[in-house]
Amino acid sequence: MPNTMTTTIYAARKIITMNAMQPTATHVAVRDGRVLGVGTLQQLAGWGEHQLDLRFADKVLMPGLIEGHCHLKEGSMWDMPYLGWFDRRDPQGKLWPGLRSMDAVVARLVEIDAQLEAAGRPASEPLIAWGFDPIYFGGERMTVDHLDRACQRRPIVIAHANGHLMNINTAMLRLAEITRDNEVEGVVKFASGEPTGELQEPAAMFLVIRKIGSAGLLAPMDEAGVRSFARLACMQGVTTATDLANKLTEADCAVLETALADDAVSIRLLPAFQAFHGTHGAALGAEHVKQLLARNTDRLRYGLVKLMLDGSIQGFSARLRWPGHFNGAPNGIWVMAPAQYEADFETYHRAGLLIHTHTNGDEASEAAINAINRVLTRAPRPDHRHTLQHGQMIDAPLFARMASLGLCANLFANHLWYWGDQHYEMTMGPDRANRLDACGSALAAGVALAIHSDAPVTPLGPLFTAWCAVNRVTPKGRVLGEAERISVPQALHAITLGAAWTLKLDHEIGSIECGKRADFCVLEDDPLEVDPAALKDLRVWGTVLSGRVFPAQTAAA
Amino acid sequence: MSRRQPLPLTVIGGFLGAGKTTLLNHWLRHAGGQRLAVLVNDFGALNIDAALISANAGDTIALTNGCVCCQIGDDLSLALIKVLDSGVAFDGVVIEASGVSDPWRIAELGRADPGLRLDAVIVLVDASVAQAQSVDPLLADTLVRQLKAADLVVVNKCDLVTTEERQALRRWVDAVAGPVPQIEATQAVVPLALLSALALQCAGDAQTHAGCDHDHSAHTDHGAMFDTWSCQAQQVFDASALRAWLRSPPPGLLRLKGVLRTAQADGQILWSELQFAGRHGSLRALAADAAPPSSGAVVAIGLRGQLPVAALDATLRRAPAQRHSPS
Repeated sequence: MPNTMTTTIYAARKIITMNAMQPTATHVAVRDGRVLGVGTLQQLAGWGEHQLDLRFADKVLMPGLIEGHCHLKEGSMWDMPYLGWFDRRDPQGKLWPGLRSMDAVVARLVEIDAQLEAAGRPASEPLIAWGFDPIYFGGERMTVDHLDRACQRRPIVIAHANGHLMNINTAMLRLAEITRDNEVEGVVKFASGEPTGELQEPAAMFLVIRKIGSAGLLAPMDEAGVRSFARLACMQGVTTATDLANKLTEADCAVLETALADDAVSIRLLPAFQAFHGTHGAALGAEHVKQLLARNTDRLRYGLVKLMLDGSIQGFSARLRWPGHFNGAPNGIWVMAPAQYEADFETYHRAGLLIHTHTNGDEASEAAINAINRVLTRAPRPDHRHTLQHGQMIDAPLFARMASLGLCANLFANHLWYWGDQHYEMTMGPDRANRLDACGSALAAGVALAIHSDAPVTPLGPLFTAWCAVNRVTPKGRVLGEAERISVPQALHAITLGAAWTLKLDHEIGSIECGKRADFCVLEDDPLEVDPAALKDLRVWGTVLSGRVFPAQTAAA
Repeated sequence: MSRRQPLPLTVIGGFLGAGKTTLLNHWLRHAGGQRLAVLVNDFGALNIDAALISANAGDTIALTNGCVCCQIGDDLSLALIKVLDSGVAFDGVVIEASGVSDPWRIAELGRADPGLRLDAVIVLVDASVAQAQSVDPLLADTLVRQLKAADLVVVNKCDLVTTEERQALRRWVDAVAGPVPQIEATQAVVPLALLSALALQCAGDAQTHAGCDHDHSAHTDHGAMFDTWSCQAQQVFDASALRAWLRSPPPGLLRLKGVLRTAQADGQILWSELQFAGRHGSLRALAADAAPPSSGAVVAIGLRGQLPVAALDATLRRAPAQRHSPS
């Protein structure tokens, strides 16, 4: 606990308050973990006895950044080695350089195997890695030939970034009893008929999951994972984040409550109840979430509900309206039937809860808007803040309807960079790729806007997400829809007050002003002064969360 | 590593309200000695008589007849692994697909895992709303995808539609699903011999042997609906010729199951299991260490009057035909 009635006044090079009535200041006074006042030292001194803290005197303060759509798994993925194409920082602050060739992947695996060996881990223990993404390797596929070069004895399992594929080596093929006789299409074969070690989709991957069980990929969230997540959040200036689909069993709640009872864990979390499995649970689910509200603390807030309508665009499982996929692939899948969605939505809505709905394709977004329109007609509820999550293909007419219904949008801006080229070339074609995650259209329609990473799908980092929405560039150098770009101030709003609005916490967080939580993102650089193309490279010093100061952990150089 | 015969897997698909749970309830009540592991989405709808329940442990309900129901939760893989690794000697696994999912994606588990054998995909259609669903732009493709995966289409709730509507629906399902059997039902009451090869075996046994100790009451009620054909199969069959026959079996055949000796391409003679349901046939060698059967036998089933007896005789029998119509 901060010392009651102790007032600390922080001096800063600049405070970007995100309060439109007082956009900048030089000092902020903090008492009891809340903002007492914002202004000059002289103005704030009127509150009486205080300590002047100069540690941020050469830094820029912003409201603590808010990630409105990510998953705690971002923390626990790092229990396994990372093999991605992009550079990524682990919870200890170590930067893992992206692996840009098969040889680099193999070399990294050789290294990990040697480390396991040196640590005395038996050769029968599988090596499970994550984040591999062959779409950047120009069509070259990974096979047992690569992986057997890395290791012959130890089974290797490599999960792809998209979640739909795996690669395994010969030792794992043997362990999983996968032979040339396996008939399933998902077991990819060489021309000779022997399996290549690439496994596609659940049935084929099931053979591996069955042998490695809940190790690694399916491991339940534990306290260490929450702590790792909090460290990653601090490095990115994030003070509030969602865990946007959590079953919230007693065990899950115990993990959250134990971890967040420790003041050293630098994050405020909003777990969203995973309400999209089963067909008869909505009434019970709503009751469960309402019961949990009584256990809310400053840093753990139950009350969100997550529903899910379709799959993913790059996995061709999202529901698209006409004209469908650019490459002719059939339309995707419903995760919930639209009628079931409407019924369950109504139950949670009538219970007074705030519902976040996953809709990737525009047909799913439209189905959600139609359903919510009918529910709100039957059961109006002022200021509900229901939010469509991802909403990647929503166009201006749908945004107009969302605005009229009071629906918020949290758009998946990181897709512009990570899959923008694939969307342009394969999934939706130029027209619709140019309005992918149409932040400009959303704001023009008056829709409350947040933007997100969906970590661990892409790395947690709201300033990077803001950079995506501001620049809309792809790895191949395309600009996807210049007209959909938003300004830096608009993007900063989306990762602070905008996200706070979708969580119904804008009265508590999202700006630095009197009465709000003392949550700051502490920056070395000024986002309003740098070249917008450099927004992603801003240096984060750390955070302040409810008045507690957390320097970001950086790896020993 | 155990080398038991693979467990037959049945997948039940169909939209919410089509009658999947009703069908499962019916099947569980008349399991007739089969020990089934049934994986369902939600216990909420599964209305099992309290008298039938022997133990209830949260995600798993054990029934007094030896069957077990498990709630899938959010991960079918984990739920299925739990069943397969439970150490219980089940006779079959039945998975209820969620309403909008593609049952074929689940059926593929039965083809992927050596411990499983895909028995059949059964898709239920609600006759009273199917026409509307078939033109609903949000749902039509999902319905078509389900029907294209079906080995047996159960057109349920036929009591709610007129004869003309039923005929129109039959033509539509035929056009979409292709040459797979359609059964019209109310309350999802379907002869068990059509649902599972296990029950079919039992039906065949009843005619060929007197000593079958299984309960036949469940399907003798529906004897008027189908014909059964069976034979002893003592001779050695050519494996590749049988596989070719399975690829386009004679029309009218609903299901077929048997054990017989086959000559492989290399001249080896092996005991093999022959299976056919709907659109999928397979011929698989029995595990090398399995006890060889005392004799070969094949049983087949078709809708009454539609069973291709002559074609079956020509391919599978050289002894005089026996035809049964249980009454």
